Amino acid sequence: MNQFTFESKQKTVLLSFMGLGLLCLLLTFFTDSQPMHMRFWTNLLHNTVFFTGIAFIILFFLAANITAWAGWYTLFKRVWESMASFMIPGLALFLVIIAGMWLGWHELYHWMDADTVANDPVLAGKSSFLNKNWYTFGTLIIVGVWIFFAWKLRQLSLEEDKMGGPQFSQHHRMRIWAAAFLPLAGFSSAALIWQWVMSVDAHWYSTLFAWYSAASWFVAAGAFTILLLIWLKSKGYYSEVTKEHLHDVGKYVFAFSVFWTYLWFSQYMLIWYANNGEETVYFQTRHQQYPVLFYGNLILNFVMPFLILMRNDTKRKNGTLIFASLIVFFGHWIDYFLMIKPGALHTAHELAAAHGAEAAHGAEHAAEAVHHASNFAAGFTIPGLLEIGTMLGFAALFIYVVLNKLTQAPLVPANDPYLGESEHHQVWYEFGEDEEVAHH
Amino acid sequence: MSTVVSPIREPLIEGGKTYHDITEDIAAPTERTPSVAWVLAFMVAVSGLALYVFCLGWTIWNGIGTWNLNRTIGWGWDITNFVWWIGIGHAGTLISAILLLFRQKWRTGVNRAAEAMTIFAVMCAGQFPLIHMGRIWLAFFIFPYPNTRGPLWVNFNSPLLWDVFAISTYFTVSLLFWYTGLVPDLATLRDRSKGLRRKLYDFFSFGWTGSAKHWQRWESLSLVLAGLATPLVLSVHTIVSFDFATSVIPGWHTTIFPPYFVAGAIFSGFAMVQTLMVLTRKVLNLQEYITLSHIESMNKVILVTGSIVGVAYLTELFIAWYSGYIYEQFAFYNRVFGPYYWAYIGMMSCNVLSPQIFWFKKIRRSIFWTFVMSIFVNIGMWFERFVIIATTLARDYLPSSWSYYSPTWVEIGLFVGTLGLFFTLYLIFVRVAPVIAIAEVKAILKSAGDQFTGAKAQQHEGAQQQAH
Amino acid sequence: MKNDKKEVLYGLYDDEEQLMTAVKKAKSDHLEIMDVYSPFPIHGLDPVMGLSESRLHIAGFVYGAIGALFGFGFMTWVFTRDWPIIFGGKPYWSVLSFIPITFELTVLFASVGMVVTFYTICGMWPGAKNPTLDNRLTDDKFCIAFQTNGASTQEVDQLRSFFSATGASEVNEKEL
Repeated sequence: MNQFTFESKQKTVLLSFMGLGLLCLLLTFFTDSQPMHMRFWTNLLHNTVFFTGIAFIILFFLAANITAWAGWYTLFKRVWESMASFMIPGLALFLVIIAGMWLGWHELYHWMDADTVANDPVLAGKSSFLNKNWYTFGTLIIVGVWIFFAWKLRQLSLEEDKMGGPQFSQHHRMRIWAAAFLPLAGFSSAALIWQWVMSVDAHWYSTLFAWYSAASWFVAAGAFTILLLIWLKSKGYYSEVTKEHLHDVGKYVFAFSVFWTYLWFSQYMLIWYANNGEETVYFQTRHQQYPVLFYGNLILNFVMPFLILMRNDTKRKNGTLIFASLIVFFGHWIDYFLMIKPGALHTAHELAAAHGAEAAHGAEHAAEAVHHASNFAAGFTIPGLLEIGTMLGFAALFIYVVLNKLTQAPLVPANDPYLGESEHHQVWYEFGEDEEVAHH
Repeated sequence: MSTVVSPIREPLIEGGKTYHDITEDIAAPTERTPSVAWVLAFMVAVSGLALYVFCLGWTIWNGIGTWNLNRTIGWGWDITNFVWWIGIGHAGTLISAILLLFRQKWRTGVNRAAEAMTIFAVMCAGQFPLIHMGRIWLAFFIFPYPNTRGPLWVNFNSPLLWDVFAISTYFTVSLLFWYTGLVPDLATLRDRSKGLRRKLYDFFSFGWTGSAKHWQRWESLSLVLAGLATPLVLSVHTIVSFDFATSVIPGWHTTIFPPYFVAGAIFSGFAMVQTLMVLTRKVLNLQEYITLSHIESMNKVILVTGSIVGVAYLTELFIAWYSGYIYEQFAFYNRVFGPYYWAYIGMMSCNVLSPQIFWFKKIRRSIFWTFVMSIFVNIGMWFERFVIIATTLARDYLPSSWSYYSPTWVEIGLFVGTLGLFFTLYLIFVRVAPVIAIAEVKAILKSAGDQFTGAKAQQHEGAQQQAH
Repeated sequence: MKNDKKEVLYGLYDDEEQLMTAVKKAKSDHLEIMDVYSPFPIHGLDPVMGLSESRLHIAGFVYGAIGALFGFGFMTWVFTRDWPIIFGGKPYWSVLSFIPITFELTVLFASVGMVVTFYTICGMWPGAKNPTLDNRLTDDKFCIAFQTNGASTQEVDQLRSFFSATGASEVNEKEL
C-alpha cells in the first residue's frame, strides 16, 4: 500500500469537525461580549498562526534535514511535504484577517488604532514597522516565498520519484534549495512572528520571542507527525516505518520540549530578574490573571513530556507516544493562546475605555475595564468550549489538507539516495526481543 | 551486520585501512620522537606560557591596578578573555555529546582532540575571573562552605555564583567524559608498549580489558553522559550570558542572550577546532582520518552558527529600535557609531560577513581558506565579547562618567600568555595520548571506510547495497 | 581468587562479523561463553550474548535526583532558615534563581556518580591490574573465551572444534 486513499468516510468525519469549528466561530462572533468581536478575531488569529506555523516549521525542519545529510526520515518525508502544504490555506486565512484590518472589521492589534498611536509615543515610534502595509505585504511576500520553497522541494521530490537515477541530480538540487531556505526562513520568520504575535502586546518586546514561539511550533509539529504516522500505520500504510523512526521523532519531541523550556526559562527569568517595568508587565499580567494557563503551560509542555518521554521504551510504544503527543500538541496550542489572548483582551479594554472617553463616559468605562481585567473573561482567561470547538475545526482542516496532499504521490519516495538508510534504520536494541532478529 | 549506507555519503576514513592500520597510524605520534615542527611549536608555546606566568605574577604581586580598568569600565580584557576562552571550550563537548546524539559519524575523527581542547580552554578561561577578583589567595570564598563569618553564605541568587557552579561542573564532566573515552585507547597504547611506558599506560588505562560487558556499560555511560553534557554545554554559556543579561544595563539586558551566546560559543569553538585540526592532521600525518569531509562538515557548522549569530545581532539591533526605550536605542547606536566602532566592524565582518564565503563548496573544502577563516572567526568572536563588555560600559547612564579604556601590557601579556598555556597543554596532549578516538574510528570503519562506501568502494560491497 | 586461577581457552577472530556468527553458534550449541573481548564496541552483540541491559542509567537518574534535591534543598535552607537575606528586592525563597545551580548539581552528581559506579563495577581504577588474554585484543583481534577449569578432554575438544568450525584464526590456552 504505497498509495494513500482518502476514504469518503474519513472526509465526512473531517468535514463535520470543520463544520463544528465553523459553527463555533459563528457562535463566538454573535455571542462575543468584547468590543469589535475580539474573542472571535483572536480565535481566528490564534489558530491561523498556530497551524500555519506548524506547516512552516516542518518545512524548515525538512530543509534542515536535507542540508544535514540526514537519512532516517526519508521513508516518510511525504508526510512532512504534505504538512508544509497547509501554508497555502494558512495564507488564505491570513488574508481574512488582513481584509478585516483594512475594512475595519476588527481591532486585533492596539497599533491599528490611529487615535491611540497618535497619542502614544511608544506606539508612534514603532509605527514604521507596526502598520497595516507592513503587516499585509510582509505576510503576503514572506509566506509566499515559503510556499514557493515548499513547492520547489516538493516538485524536486516528485521528479526524483519519476526520473531519479544514480546521479541523484534532483537530490543535489534539493540540497541547494534547502540550504538557501534556511537563512531566509531564519530571518523572515522572526519578522512575521513579531508582527503576528508579539505585536498583540504592542508595547512589549523581547528579543528571544521569535525563537521561543518557533520552538513551540516545532514541538507541536513533531507531535503531529507522530500522531499521523501512528494513524497511517494503523490503517496499514507505512509498514516500513518502524518504531525506530517513531523513536527518533519522539526524541525530537522530547529534546525540543526541553529546549522550549530552556527558552521559556531564559525569557521569563531574565525579565523577572531585571524587573524592568515595560518588560515585566507582560508576565505580571499572565502570572496574576492567567495562573491556570501560566502554570498549565509548564506542566503540559515541560513536566509531562519530560517525565513521559525520558525513557527509551516510552518513545517506542504507541500508547505513550500518542498520549505525550496529544498533551504537547494541546499544550503548545495553549502556549499560543497565552501569547495572544491577554494582550488582545487588554487592547479591547483600552479601546473600550478610549471610545468610552469620547462619549464622555470615560471614567466609568475605564473603571469597568479595570474591573474586567481582574475577572474571568469567557474565552480569554481559559479556553472555553467555543475555543476548543474552533481548534478541532482547524485541526480537521489541517488534517484534511495534509491527507489530501498525501493522496497525490506515493507514500514512500523512490530513488532517494537515503532510502536504504531509512529502511534499515535502527537506533536501539531491545533486550530480550532481539533474539528473533538475531536469527535472521 | 553490514550497515546500509547511502551511496552519496563520502567516506570518513580513507586509504583502505584495516583495524590494525588504524591502531598503527593513530598510535604512531605518541611512539616516535617528536618532529622538528613539534619541537619548534612547543618552544614557542612554552615561551608564551612563560609570559603568562610572568604577567600573572606581576598582577598578583602589584595588584590589578596594573591593568587599565577604571571606575566606569570595570570589566575589560579580563572578562573578554574569560568569555572568549569559555566559548572555545564549548566545541569539544558539543562535538562529542550533541553529535553523538545526532549519530553524526564524522565526530569520531575530531572528538578526542576537540574534547582535550575544551578542557585546556576551560583551564585558560577559569584563570580570568579568579585573578580579576584581586586577592586571588581568597578565591576560595566563592565556594559555599561553613565559615566563621556567621556562617555567611555566598549569594546563590547571583549569576556570578551560578558561573562558579557551571564552570566547575562543566570542567569536571568534560574531563570525565574525555577520560572515559580515552581509557580504551590508553589500553591500546599499553598493549603496544614496553618498559616504563607500559607501566605508565598500565596505570592510566585503569585495567581495561575490552570485555563485552564493559563495552556495553561504557557505551551506556557515554550515551547518558552525552545526554547530560548536551544541556550542560547549553547551560554553561547560558549562565555566562546571565552575567550580563540579568543586569539592567542597556545592551546587556536582552532575552536573546542565552541562545545567542550558546550559538556564538559553538561558532568560536568550531573555529578553534578547525585551527587545531588543520595543523594537527598535517603535522601528525592524519589526513586519512581527518578528511576534507570532516573539514567541510565543520565549516558548515561554522556557517550555520555564524548565521544564527548574525540573526541575533540584527534582532538585537531591530528590537533596540522597536522597544522605544531610549537607553536601549542609545546603547546600540553607541555600539555601531561610538568610540569603539572599530570593534563593532571587526565583529560584524569576521563573524557574520566573512563566513558567508563558506556557501561555496570549493572554499569549504580548501585547507587554506579554512585556516584563514578559522583565525578570522577567532578574532571576530573576541571582538564580539569586547563589544558587549567594553563598549557598553564605556557609555553608561551618566555622561559625566563616560570613559575609554585600552589595555596595558600586562593585560595583553596575560591574554597572549593563555594562548601559550593552551598550546603547551595541547602539544603535550598530542604526544602522550591518541589524538583520534581509536576505538570509535574502528567502530565506524565498516560504514565509513572508503573501501566500503563512497566512489572507491569495492565491487562486492556495491553489489551488496543493490541487493538491499 | 589468586589461588584458584581461571583456566581459559580462547579463540581469536579477525573480524567482528565472524565473531558475531560464532557467538550465535555458541549460543545455539549451548556453550557457556566466559567473556567476549573486542577492540571496539560491537553493535547488536549484547542481545546475542544474552547480556542483560546495563542499568547504569538508572543509577545515573538516582544520583541526579539526589543532586537536584541536595542543591535545591541546601539553597532553600540557607536562604529561608539559616541566614535569610533580601537580594534585589526578591523573595527569600527565589525558586527561579535557584534553578541554574540546581541544574548544575544534578548534572554533576549524575555524571560523577555514574563514572565512579562504572569504574567500580568494572573493577577498574588507576593502576588496576586486570589480566588480559592477548595484546592484540585492543588492536585488531576479536576473542571468545571459555573457562575450562575442570573440563573434560572431550569438552575441551568440543570447544576446539567449535573454534575451527567458526573460523577462529588462533586458539590458545591461558591461565588468568
